[in-house]
Amino acid sequence: MFQHQYAMVLDLNKCLGCQTCTMACKKLWTDGDGMDYMYWNNVETRPGQGYPRKWDQIGGGFENGKLRPSEIPSREDYGQPFQYNYEERMFQGGLQVMPHEPVENTPNWDEDVGALMLGENYYFYLPRLCNHCTNPACLAACPRNAIYKREEDGIVLIDQERCEGYRYCMRACPYKKIYFNELLGKAQKCIFCYPRLEKGEVNACARQCPGRLRFVGLLDDPGSAVHKLVHVYKVALGLFPEKGTEPNVFYVPPFNPPRRGNYGKSILDDPRMPLDYLVYLFGEQVTDVIRRLEAELKKAQDGAPSEVLQLLIGRDEEVRYQIPKRESLVQITNAQIQPLRRA
Amino acid sequence: MRHIALFLIFASWATAETVDLPLYRTPPLYSTDRPAALEIPSVRLDIQPVDGKTVVKLEWLDRSRDAEAPAPDGFVDACAVMLPAGPVTGDVFPSLQMGDADHPVIIYYYDMKRGAAVMEASGRATTRRTGKTFTAQAAYAGQKWQVTLELPALPAGTPLSVAIWNGAQQDRDGRKYFSLWHRTR
Ligand code: SF4
Ligand code: SF4
Repeated sequence: MFQHQYAMVLDLNKCLGCQTCTMACKKLWTDGDGMDYMYWNNVETRPGQGYPRKWDQIGGGFENGKLRPSEIPSREDYGQPFQYNYEERMFQGGLQVMPHEPVENTPNWDEDVGALMLGENYYFYLPRLCNHCTNPACLAACPRNAIYKREEDGIVLIDQERCEGYRYCMRACPYKKIYFNELLGKAQKCIFCYPRLEKGEVNACARQCPGRLRFVGLLDDPGSAVHKLVHVYKVALGLFPEKGTEPNVFYVPPFNPPRRGNYGKSILDDPRMPLDYLVYLFGEQVTDVIRRLEAELKKAQDGAPSEVLQLLIGRDEEVRYQIPKRESLVQITNAQIQPLRRA
Repeated sequence: MRHIALFLIFASWATAETVDLPLYRTPPLYSTDRPAALEIPSVRLDIQPVDGKTVVKLEWLDRSRDAEAPAPDGFVDACAVMLPAGPVTGDVFPSLQMGDADHPVIIYYYDMKRGAAVMEASGRATTRRTGKTFTAQAAYAGQKWQVTLELPALPAGTPLSVAIWNGAQQDRDGRKYFSLWHRTR
């Protein structure tokens, strides 16, 4: 069993949808051959089709403890990679800058479309990456034992030597966060930037985020922001908890600002988006989380200090990231380790 | 291959024969998956001793040629011949599920994209590439695959089992067609 678990908390109230994280990850890890269509980190507009298209509706994960694999999304579902005709535009003139071929779907196809409620448009951004699950469906599905969860930090990796490209993991992951590299014949996914963490550097997607919305550390380290947000203040939740994989990427649900013109009312009394939609994404607990966050907000508005909001502002990196030295990972004593939700 | 060489000394070679082997589907891996249709009911196996080798020709009907496997949901057609890695005593054959701990197997695998590879296994999920390859050729015409595999000379009576993967049915790994053991003449 693994001793520690890295986790990430993303405060959705702070996400600008700028895709800087997406590009940080792309440039660093998926710039190689056969990887053009893959975004280990993507930011999608919610409500919306997501990336790959309808990933949240096609299945995967566990049901009554049993794997419930889905179909593998098609190339069209991920969206086609394309380039613009910059060269023609710049050196031949007279043409508009256009994709070099007709485009029918892309990872960010319905950006900022959202939906309507009471005649008002609403949406928010959902950055997504592999959840480095405590009970990874991808790992359970692989007949070659090519997927493993690192004992020292809970990071889930695919052994590229053992992988034969069977893609059972892609069917099993309920978050559809495994990609197939056609040229190599291998499955690939977010590595939680383990080579950076091992040097004491935070994940690239977190480091580059101008919204400063990502918190990274060990979930079992009582001093970490992620531990506090998830286990102490209880304001961050995993996506689709009913899928049974126990994700370790958590989200502070969007609860602010309130709908135009409802000043003073609770978001639960006069929501700017259907609460059902948040329940769909984060489970029933989301209502309590919003209540807790609103209480903190009220407290702060009344002039009292709110530790939670202070932490969520997370201006400085030392507040957001607690990356232990690799050597010390094994030195955190058992007494200091809070039991993981499922150790 | 080392094991085969050992017991060749005491045996006579497999002789020429042509036989149609019925194919079966492995059951679905997940209870939520529907059983796959039996689109390829049989494979023709042609065995010829040629210059100290056994040339095995496989021929089967396949309505689509899947050799490119566009990502991420495409899979390629493939075939394999599985042999016991060691001498077979009596009628105790290795398990059809990639042999077992006491009866390891050698698999001569050919996929339409990556070509030939020799694999070893001693039970389900133990299959591994040896890094060795062998001479093989494949051709698709008239909705049929014809694949010729050059194996080391097989002694008469060697049990062999054939596996066929149909890319169009998303076959790969244990999701495939297989024949029962057939003993060479
Ligand atoms: S999110 Fe998907 S790929 Fe990542 S560990 Fe969980 S099941 Fe595996
Ligand atoms: S943790 Fe690293 S590999 Fe994973 S999504 Fe972020 S930048 Fe990409």
